Amino acid sequence: MNLKFVLPVLLAGLLAGCGSVLSPGHARRDFLVTGAAPDHLFVINPRTQKVVSDFTIPGAHDYVSVIVPSPSGKVAYVLVNRTRSIAGINLRTGKEVFRANLEQPGERVTCMYAFDVTPNGKELIVYVYRTRLEIDQYRVQAPRFLIFSTTAGLHAKPLREFPAPRRVQMILAKHDGRSFFAIGFNLYEYDLRTGRLIERRGILNWHRPHHLRPDMLAFWPVTEPTGIFSSPIYSTLVGPGTPPGGVPETSLLTLNLHDGHLAYHDIGRTNALIFSTVIGPDRRWAYGAYTQLTKIKMDGTHWRVADRVTLPHTYYSVNISPNGKEVYVGGTMCDVIIYDARTMREKGDVQLPGCADQATATLRVIERR
Amino acid sequence: MSGLKSVNHKADLLLEAAESGHVEEVTAMETVAGCVTTFDPGWEVDPFGGVASLCQPMEADLYGCSDPCWWPAQVPDTMNTYPNWQEGKPSAQHDWRELDPVYPDTNAVFPKK
Repeated sequence: MNLKFVLPVLLAGLLAGCGSVLSPGHARRDFLVTGAAPDHLFVINPRTQKVVSDFTIPGAHDYVSVIVPSPSGKVAYVLVNRTRSIAGINLRTGKEVFRANLEQPGERVTCMYAFDVTPNGKELIVYVYRTRLEIDQYRVQAPRFLIFSTTAGLHAKPLREFPAPRRVQMILAKHDGRSFFAIGFNLYEYDLRTGRLIERRGILNWHRPHHLRPDMLAFWPVTEPTGIFSSPIYSTLVGPGTPPGGVPETSLLTLNLHDGHLAYHDIGRTNALIFSTVIGPDRRWAYGAYTQLTKIKMDGTHWRVADRVTLPHTYYSVNISPNGKEVYVGGTMCDVIIYDARTMREKGDVQLPGCADQATATLRVIERR
Repeated sequence: MSGLKSVNHKADLLLEAAESGHVEEVTAMETVAGCVTTFDPGWEVDPFGGVASLCQPMEADLYGCSDPCWWPAQVPDTMNTYPNWQEGKPSAQHDWRELDPVYPDTNAVFPKK
């Protein structure tokens, strides 16, 4: 632990303590975690709107992308090194406690965003693409699921490996601890112990009346605070009353990690883009980020866009406080903006030290216990 | 092949492969190397046929596109062939003048072992 870390944390602790005076026993202990080039991992206190930790990830190689916090909020697993490594960083000390370098001799192995930690925090599920590097050609190998122990240290090797389908962009562990979901053109569910395929459901080949095949961009594996993953998904409505060529429609895909329930809800004609979404804790509101911040009312079966405000610039990643009162947008450039979830008015703008780009780093919310 | 002299990169590789017993790995057709997985139009046009829904400003999107090799026609393939392109330039909005074009380099694609 160094002074650069200790002093801000002590200060943040004192300020957090001030907050607890207002609501004894219910002090908020949620923090934001994001990353930035070339090797930064930041912890932000949303109450003080300050960066409280600026950690350096060894061997990041100008690349800090998907962030997956452990269930305890103590460790952040971060995709670094141009998709070739996953580093586990202790979020209090900044010490690297886990490292899986995926490459093998003569074989390029990359993780294209898809990994998650199990609900008990003991294992990491990683989806990898493998390419054999021969003298003047690349030979594509079958992708694999790799299962690592999170206690394997800095030279982690897989405990288990399973065959995997192609075109998977996200891994999400089911909350019963027995299986995990792989999301790509389809939604797959696999047994965590054996790698057995339990179920396959269509996403690209969904069966929704009057909806053409959809398109989805999803590599922000945000499931807090509800345990429900959500993502915008775009299609075209056709049928009676629609003009030739149909009507572009935005829907929300939701996957409940408690019971595996997959659902789609139309939210309205596509007249603005949304990159990522998050479901609020009361499950009545969802929020989406891109160049606008979009507020979605989840009203029974009738979901709709309720409000939309223009952001200072494009942001990829969105998240929400555990109490649902603040919405955060991050990714792309070097700031994280805090919005009032009810009024959609800006409450604060946290500038990251050094103003390095977050790019595809995931904005996560952790709760410290 | 002791009587042959290589005159291009492919022939170089073939000679090396013969020495190391890996001739089968050298094929007649040069493979396209990179990380092209996306054939979206790119930064020219948004889904509505205009430009208003492209990322604003484009610098916000620059490393978000080069990092996952999203549009390698517009930005270098930093995942495989030009991993050091943005080294020392962590902020696209401030450092964009320092970002150089890249040019095809066979040795970058198939580095000599």
